Amino acid sequence: MNNNQGPRKNQVRPGGGPPRGRMLFVEKPKDMKGTLKRIFKYIGKNRLLFFGLLFITLIVTVVGLVGPYLQGKAIDAITISESRLQVDWDSMILYLSLILIIYVSSSAFTYFQGLLSAHLSQNTVREMRKDLFNHIVKLPVKYTDTHAHGDIMSRMTNDVDIISNTISQSIGSLFSGVLTVVGVLAIMLYLNWFLTLVSLSTVFLTILSTKYLSKLMRKYYKKQQELLGNLNGHVEEMVTGYKTVAAYSKEKKAQDEFDEVSGNLKKVSIKANIFGGVMGPVMNCISNFGFLLICGFGGYLAATKSGLGNWWFSVGTFVTVGTIQMFIQYSKRFSRPINEIANLWAQFQTSIAAAERVFEIMDTPLEVNDGKERIDGNKFVGNISFKDVNFSYTEGKQIIYDFNLDVKPGQKIALVGATGSGKTTIVNLLMRFYDIDSGSIKIDGVDIRDIRKEDLRSTVAIVLQDTILFSTSIKDNIKYGHLDASIDEIINASKLANSDYFVERLPEKYDTILAESGSNLSQGQRQLLSIARAILADPKILILDEATSSVDTRTEKNIQDAMFTLMKNRTSLVIAHRLSTIQDADVIIVMDHGRIVESGNHYELLKKEGRYYNLYQTQFAGNEI
Amino acid sequence: MKIFKFLGKYWGWAVGASLFMIAEVAFDLILPQIMSTIVDDGVLSDFAANEKTAIVVKFGLIMLGCLILGGFCGISSGVCASTASNSFGDDVRRALFKKVTNLSYEQTDKFSTGSLVTRITNDVTQVQNFVSMAIRMFVRTIMLFFGGIIMMYLTCKEFSYVLAIVLPIQVVIMIIFLKKATPVFKVVQSKIDKVNSVVQENVGGVRVVKAYVREDYESDRFNDANVDLSLTTLKVQKILAIIMPLLTIFLNVIVVAIIYIGGYKIVNVNPTLLPTDSDYMTVGKVMAGLTYIAQVLIGVMQMAMIASAITRAKVSIGRINEVMDCEPVITSDVEENHKYEIDPKDLGTIEFKNVSFAYPNSSGQNVVSDFSLKVSKGERLAILGATGSGKSSIVNLIPRFYDVDSGEVLVDGINVKEYNLKDLRNKISMVLQKTELFSGSIEENVKWGKVDATSEEIEEATSIAQVKDFIDGLEDGYNYEVGERGNNLSGGQKQRVSIARGLVRKPEFIVFDDSTSALDLATEARLHKALKEKMQGVTTIFIAQRVASARHADKIAVIDNGKLVALGTHDELINNSPIYQDIYNSQLKRGEQDEQ
Repeated sequence: MNNNQGPRKNQVRPGGGPPRGRMLFVEKPKDMKGTLKRIFKYIGKNRLLFFGLLFITLIVTVVGLVGPYLQGKAIDAITISESRLQVDWDSMILYLSLILIIYVSSSAFTYFQGLLSAHLSQNTVREMRKDLFNHIVKLPVKYTDTHAHGDIMSRMTNDVDIISNTISQSIGSLFSGVLTVVGVLAIMLYLNWFLTLVSLSTVFLTILSTKYLSKLMRKYYKKQQELLGNLNGHVEEMVTGYKTVAAYSKEKKAQDEFDEVSGNLKKVSIKANIFGGVMGPVMNCISNFGFLLICGFGGYLAATKSGLGNWWFSVGTFVTVGTIQMFIQYSKRFSRPINEIANLWAQFQTSIAAAERVFEIMDTPLEVNDGKERIDGNKFVGNISFKDVNFSYTEGKQIIYDFNLDVKPGQKIALVGATGSGKTTIVNLLMRFYDIDSGSIKIDGVDIRDIRKEDLRSTVAIVLQDTILFSTSIKDNIKYGHLDASIDEIINASKLANSDYFVERLPEKYDTILAESGSNLSQGQRQLLSIARAILADPKILILDEATSSVDTRTEKNIQDAMFTLMKNRTSLVIAHRLSTIQDADVIIVMDHGRIVESGNHYELLKKEGRYYNLYQTQFAGNEI
Repeated sequence: MKIFKFLGKYWGWAVGASLFMIAEVAFDLILPQIMSTIVDDGVLSDFAANEKTAIVVKFGLIMLGCLILGGFCGISSGVCASTASNSFGDDVRRALFKKVTNLSYEQTDKFSTGSLVTRITNDVTQVQNFVSMAIRMFVRTIMLFFGGIIMMYLTCKEFSYVLAIVLPIQVVIMIIFLKKATPVFKVVQSKIDKVNSVVQENVGGVRVVKAYVREDYESDRFNDANVDLSLTTLKVQKILAIIMPLLTIFLNVIVVAIIYIGGYKIVNVNPTLLPTDSDYMTVGKVMAGLTYIAQVLIGVMQMAMIASAITRAKVSIGRINEVMDCEPVITSDVEENHKYEIDPKDLGTIEFKNVSFAYPNSSGQNVVSDFSLKVSKGERLAILGATGSGKSSIVNLIPRFYDVDSGEVLVDGINVKEYNLKDLRNKISMVLQKTELFSGSIEENVKWGKVDATSEEIEEATSIAQVKDFIDGLEDGYNYEVGERGNNLSGGQKQRVSIARGLVRKPEFIVFDDSTSALDLATEARLHKALKEKMQGVTTIFIAQRVASARHADKIAVIDNGKLVALGTHDELINNSPIYQDIYNSQLKRGEQDEQ
């Protein structure tokens, strides 16, 4: 993945999941039961797969338990009598054939288990991603405006991934782990209760030492993650800012700072790795110790062919070499799931927390669309009226005050004012990206809240300051507003927007796929494409939000000409910094802090010698203010 | 591979880690032998019961000893390995970062900054993990694998024959499946990217999607990508699902074969031998054989892991080396703080002489061609031109961010190539088009321009840059913490802080590379006025797109297609230069006509 886009891998994100892999930090879910229910609803759509998977896991586990027993029995076919080894050939062949049959079928079942779990997890996750995305596109603009994009992205990718892994692996492992533990315990008890106790002692040791070690580890890993975050942040900043670093000859400073962070990271990492690395040998040691205990005690019991020495009680069935072999194998099978279950449980909790974050988005109310009125293209006139509109993005911070404006059909209205004066907000309100607090906005006399959103928005085309193109072909991008446009119509729109000449120079012309975020075109060229898109959409109302600010002046002139034709018979709203682009507007609205301070045409406003006049003077007459 | 020369310093730790690992495995391999003795002599022999007990206890204690020693070796190996690999990783990381900061622009452009960041962070971590794995896991696996085979052979020749037949088959199977899965893994990655990019575009472009009422269209687009991803993932998982069961089948065939051979030899070979013969089959040997088999097979599976780790590490090493091998193209042999012989009459001048330039990674089309221009001391030159006309490229040649292809650029009358890079760049304050601030306080950011700037100097700079009022209005004032890349400031605020950063060093030259684009007109006008008053004698070049901005200059250079097409004051140009008139008309005339 290109690291420019998308969430950064090691970034610690607010409310985000832990780095995957080692599940050292367990997130506690808030509502385990409720979330689980919802996950199962997804699994429920593949009920057959799910129960099939559980069933087959059951078979695989049980079959796996029989194996060692048969092995032990096969070895027991070798006996000693008169100090020579004897083989009960018939029983050995019998057990060996059984082992083969059991294992071949177990392998087949394991394969099916793998297939089923892959299907189950993919089906579930695909559904979940689909639902999540469908929800995201229908969320109100406010949601995307007020939530970090990286966070939304990571819910879509990381969190869904975590859930997927849990479904495909953890659920099965957890189930078979529990089954194995219970089964092994039963068989071992059946074989010999005393040796069972001996094996359990090592399990106890394992749990104790894992707990102690991971506590130590967690401390250092946490520190390590923090430092890693620092390091990545520093690298990111210095490398993306390389031009400034070079321009100010600050290479040495950057290196020194980096060396310090890197050195700290090294020190902490060594410690973290040592504690992490100790785990392996210690486990190995404990498991070998178990091996030793079983061999020792088992050997002793088998050797004396009795209970424990002269003790009066029996230790269960008679211990044979086969029993020892069985215990060696069973105790291995026993300690593995015990270790895993703790881990799996942590993983399970983490993924529930991940699911909660996913569901949190799904629970966000969708954009309301309760308007019923349709817009009839033929009868459409294009009157827009704002009446006493008040609006604030967050309560208490009012942005628009008593905004009144009447736009007649075909008029060109310009909004002028400093950044933050509320120009763009007016666009947000007209498009119903946000709903007004009080007052009304009407199109042809109908309150826009009563109009179907699709109809309202199809009537208006906007060209935004930040050009947004999609990583599809140029053709698809232009026809975004008019999906069934013919190639001729597309080229025609492109010609009108002055983008045809550079598209034609590209090797694949209109089939050129735009790089992610359109980086294979210049800013100006991208702007032109988004204008072509608006032209092709052939809207009744046109909104240009600083649309020409990054196009050079000569190109801008060409666009203006195209726009001029386009704006004919269309109601249009233009927001611009450059007064040159809006001098021919029918009405120029000068805004300041959410209020209209002046309005009129260019000529009238200049005469007033008010705010507009001052702006005009600064822009054209130089710096004398 | 030469990246491993960084390991040289820590070879002691690395070798130590390997040796301890070998010892640990050796102890592991001895255990089944001891067990075999316990079974054969302690259980299944015809010694007296108390003798048997003595044997069991004795060998039990030996086993315990081996165990403890083995554990100790394992831990020591871990300590050595993590010291070696982390120190190695640290050194590589530092060297790489140093290299990256010293790269020339064109090289950084070629790599792209995103990719450089990944190389310094992820790739180095990847290689570091690989080193740690290689000196422990690799050694361990090889030891387990060959040690297991040898011990198997020593226990019973026939056992190892079985292994000799089955093992190669197993290895081949694994290779086949991994080979099959690897390319699909890559496809999966690209599908994930595709899904991510659709989401990214929708989250970022929510307004366009909604304005064109394309929610359902986008849902379809996403669904295609989504289904595609899940089907491809399924394909990989299906391939992987076969491997494990297949391997277990072979394991169990071997188990059966060993028990069978054991039984067969007891019946058919033992009667001709004495119990002390090495070929004499015992139950203990069968059990030891079964344990060794398990160890050898674990070795095989770990080899698969190691194989995939090697491929991953190879990619990372390649990506790191690519950067390491890059020598900065723009260098200078002159040492720092050199005394340059500057002719006083050339002081404060910048001159372009027949300069031609094409971007090194481009198709070779000149962005600047045969460009000549002289800026004299204290002069304020505006460069005006359309996007893509070569304005930025021209100013980037002054501090040698790029080198000219022909002609020369003179600063203070001396060719820029004859300066030490630092000396040259310290003369010039470049305020860049894309504003880059760094996390830290505003004061720290301004001090980038001059490390020892006093608070008066900082205030003067910020006041000229028209950002002082804003800073004074902040609760923390100059201590206000700028977020990563300045993301808690608006575009205009960032630009003004970065202008202050350029001004504070009181340079000989200031270059504004279209760096007032986010300022509103009044602020821009105030900025130019302040610059004119407070920065007298400083040669200033600024790039402008608007005639209104360019008018602030003493002289205006009009650039078109990398060529100088007109030069003069506003009044001169308005009379003589058709292209200037054209631009002027498109921006201004309409308004003025209305006035009259």
